[in-house]
Amino acid sequence: MGKSLLLMLAAYGVLVAASYFYAFRKDTGKAKKSIAKGWKQFLNQLPLLIAVFLLVGIFDKFVPKSIVVNLIGKGKGFMSVLRASILGSIIMGPVSSAYPFGAVLLDKGATIAATAVFLDAWVMVGVITLPFEISVFGKKFALLRNILAFVGTIIIGMITGLLLVGSAF
Amino acid sequence: MKEYIKKHLFEFSTFVFTGVLFVFYPAKTLAAVEEGTILLLRMLPMFLCVVFFSSFLALFLSPKTIQKYLGKESGFWGIVIAAVLGTVIVGPLWILFPLFETLLKKGARISIVGAMVGAFAIKTPWIPYAISFLGVKFILISVVLILGYAVIEGLLMEKILLKVNYQPK
Repeated sequence: MGKSLLLMLAAYGVLVAASYFYAFRKDTGKAKKSIAKGWKQFLNQLPLLIAVFLLVGIFDKFVPKSIVVNLIGKGKGFMSVLRASILGSIIMGPVSSAYPFGAVLLDKGATIAATAVFLDAWVMVGVITLPFEISVFGKKFALLRNILAFVGTIIIGMITGLLLVGSAF
Repeated sequence: MKEYIKKHLFEFSTFVFTGVLFVFYPAKTLAAVEEGTILLLRMLPMFLCVVFFSSFLALFLSPKTIQKYLGKESGFWGIVIAAVLGTVIVGPLWILFPLFETLLKKGARISIVGAMVGAFAIKTPWIPYAISFLGVKFILISVVLILGYAVIEGLLMEKILLKVNYQPK
């Protein structure tokens, strides 16, 4: 674990402590409710997190490099970022598992651009939640937002690749 | 029990899948489980901070406060504020859809809501964690680009949706 992560973890610890110091002074009942809510959310999400991180480990140990390289590796051109965007749009999971998964992809030979596109699509596009989004915003809003976001992930990811390693694929 | 398994079908399938893998490839599976466990333990402290900070925000930052700053008259800076605000709120995207819907109905500009939804893809509390896997440059470039694109996305959505006579549901 990097020193900077520990430092920022400490900073977040202080932020959380400060917010609860404020909460308890302002409204003790509400503050207690907020702690109970956080704890419940933690217990609720723990099984999913265990499963997802297990899958990241399995992916790393079992999926051969050649598959990743073939799909989103160097020299695969625009198709690699397109594939990455589609994959990231469909996948739905806790964002905390997205980053280690992204690191595994890079390690297995994915390009920087494809990895960035994949991670951006993970958080920006929601195919599985689309029906719910439509029920809230209506078809026009939801479809337009997801289409724009999808195109955006490709643009943003390619720029990320260009800026970092001078290559958009 | 049956109900519980139904609700956590994905988790149970993953555990069963891991068990089956273990029977056929014990050494590789053990390595995968070990990697998954290490990754999980690495994110847990930050995850705890995030759930408790989210529950604090959920109870102490009222939608009313947010609405106050994002009404119809807010210009370009309203959009920028919206984009920044979108990054501060944490949790899965779809949890906030009802809030955005209320904002639209109460007369917030489409561009503002669009920018907020877009910027929500940046999970501020996870930034240090993300950096620990993918490096400072990768994450900072992504954050800046996603934020910039969120503003463009919001403006584009407003332009297009006003043309097609979009009405919030």
